Amino acid sequence: MVADALVVNAVSKTYGEKRVVRDVSFQAKAGEIMGILGPNGAGKTTIIRMIMGITAPDSGTVAFQSQNRKAASVPKDLVGYLPEERGLYKEARVMHILQFLASLKNVPKPVVASRAREWLAKFGLADYANAKVEQLSKGMAQKVQFIAAVLHQPRFIVLDEPFSGLDPVSQDLFKEEIRTLAAGGAVVLLSSHQMNIVEELCDRIFLIDKGTEVVSGPLGEIREKYGTFRVHVELGKDADPLVRLPMVAGAEQVNSNRWVLYLKDHVSPEEFLRQVPPDAGVRELSITRPSLHDIFVKIATGRHGA
Amino acid sequence: MKEIWKVARWEFMRYVTNKQFIIGLLITPLIMVAFAGLPVLLERWNKPPEVTYYVVDDVGVLPLLEEGAPDNLHFLIPNDRDRIAEEVQEGNAAGYLLVDSTFLHTGNAYLYLSEHSTEGRGYIQAILTQFLQQWRMQEAALDWEALQYVSATAQVQVETMAHVKLPGGEEIAVSGVFVVLIYILVLSSGTMLMQSAVQEKRDRMAEVVLSSITPQTLMKGKIFGHFLLGVLQLAFWLALVIPAAIYFLDFPVWEALLKADLGMLAVFGLCGYLLYAALFVGIGATMEDIQSAGNSQGLVVMLPMLAFLFIGPVVSNPNGSVAVLASFLPFTSPVIMIMRTALTQVPLWQMAFSVGLLLLAVFAIAVMSAKIFRVGMLMYGKTASLGEIVKWLRYKEE
Repeated sequence: MVADALVVNAVSKTYGEKRVVRDVSFQAKAGEIMGILGPNGAGKTTIIRMIMGITAPDSGTVAFQSQNRKAASVPKDLVGYLPEERGLYKEARVMHILQFLASLKNVPKPVVASRAREWLAKFGLADYANAKVEQLSKGMAQKVQFIAAVLHQPRFIVLDEPFSGLDPVSQDLFKEEIRTLAAGGAVVLLSSHQMNIVEELCDRIFLIDKGTEVVSGPLGEIREKYGTFRVHVELGKDADPLVRLPMVAGAEQVNSNRWVLYLKDHVSPEEFLRQVPPDAGVRELSITRPSLHDIFVKIATGRHGA
Repeated sequence: MKEIWKVARWEFMRYVTNKQFIIGLLITPLIMVAFAGLPVLLERWNKPPEVTYYVVDDVGVLPLLEEGAPDNLHFLIPNDRDRIAEEVQEGNAAGYLLVDSTFLHTGNAYLYLSEHSTEGRGYIQAILTQFLQQWRMQEAALDWEALQYVSATAQVQVETMAHVKLPGGEEIAVSGVFVVLIYILVLSSGTMLMQSAVQEKRDRMAEVVLSSITPQTLMKGKIFGHFLLGVLQLAFWLALVIPAAIYFLDFPVWEALLKADLGMLAVFGLCGYLLYAALFVGIGATMEDIQSAGNSQGLVVMLPMLAFLFIGPVVSNPNGSVAVLASFLPFTSPVIMIMRTALTQVPLWQMAFSVGLLLLAVFAIAVMSAKIFRVGMLMYGKTASLGEIVKWLRYKEE
């Protein structure tokens, strides 16, 4: 039996003169959360719209491989989609909208009602099933939109910027539900420009800038590959003895007594700590890997260190 | 098909419970009744004034004057001939008519009025003329039968030839009502469709819905749903109007309906609706909001009015070249062809040609609208220009 997978193979898209997506390939697998990351205007939404069959790629293919079938076109009832441009029929009632959208995915009406109530309760919206959308706050509406995307228990879940506009508490709630959906065996693909959020959530990422791949693969591997360690240190005296250590690639002075040291590739924290002179005057020290944001900036701009 | 029905049902349910729709449903008949009833009421208020004239009658014309007088005209013999002017001044009468013996020779009678008025003047003139002519002919010793013979008026007798059927008033009435119904269906459902497309974009629902169904399905579902709404609206109004017409008007509603060519009316009505529905839903997809409609959109919305331009020429000459042309043009043919069939015998080939052209136009507009709809529904933030719309039409099917 083949596990579900979403395979994007060498897709490109040009609007007029502008090439917005260039030769993009990646795979998202069942049980994993795949994140497409990049700044605004990088081409994330265009990729997602091509995956959803809303716009067609000029070249390349998108394939949904499922246990049940292999489809070149989007298997509509197996896919749940939360677009970036999202909303709800303002004058309609929450339950009616959920029923309509689920009916388009061929879910029987009685099943929809009970599932919808479960989800609404999970998001603290149990009392709003019969409320009109115009009575909901923005955050509440976004929760209803999320429910609409997953109510039919899709095998493939595509979420375009699911966290934008959410408060931190709701963000955590979304993260938890997305993890649960992936753990349940769904293929989850999400896009975001907020790298810190995705860093906590994704198993695999695809970093994109100006329509082209910057880097992609399992998050751990990427951090391993690009994530040279950095040392944040507060000193009581001159930093020279530390900066001159052979395993330090560069240094940056934050203020009069705080420094950031960038270790060379493949140098472990332990190796560094063994080399710190006992009289270096260290008051405080922490060793971290760079964030995805830093890796992105480093690769995208070709800048070293920072 | 199942998907189209789901969208149609959703559109229907969403709008049928909408306050605006319900208010429109209830208020429109009231407005119509007001428009139809107002002239009658005005007419009633504007009753001709009651007018009394004294008649000084030396020739014996009074009985004739009284005999055929309208209800508001009264003729009296004065109590006192010498005080007649004072009586009029006092307001007992609007004036007095002096027909003395010289009248039979001079033909002059005199109407003295307390103030300027034209009331009854034509009637008095006609009666006095009739009286004078009769008296003079008798004086000339013509006998009564000869008088009748000489003074007979001409009568034009209308006879229809057996193989040409001229429509009667009932058919004209049914066709007229149908033309109005088609207009209401096209304008109200068309506007609602346009709004529905704009709202789908405004509410940012298009992309979610289009991840489940194709743009064509969404468009067809909307067109079908709003057709049902339009039919519901018309059925509701007819349910009010038909009993009222039967009760208040002396018009054989059922006989007229049975005589009318309902099949032809339905074909033109349905095709007319589909043509404009496809057009309006496509236009809706190009707009950010109704207010921001550009010139090109505005012109399209005015298209249903085009038929009004032809109503005059069609009524005066239903087989003239203008009428024939207008009954072929798809944007005017639904209304004009129905009018022509009410007024004249339309050759079968013209009817078939008109239906054929209309069906072709419905198909062409639907294909173009689907293209516009597909791109337009996912475009946010601005109303498309004509140039952009043309560009969308050139996109090949993806």
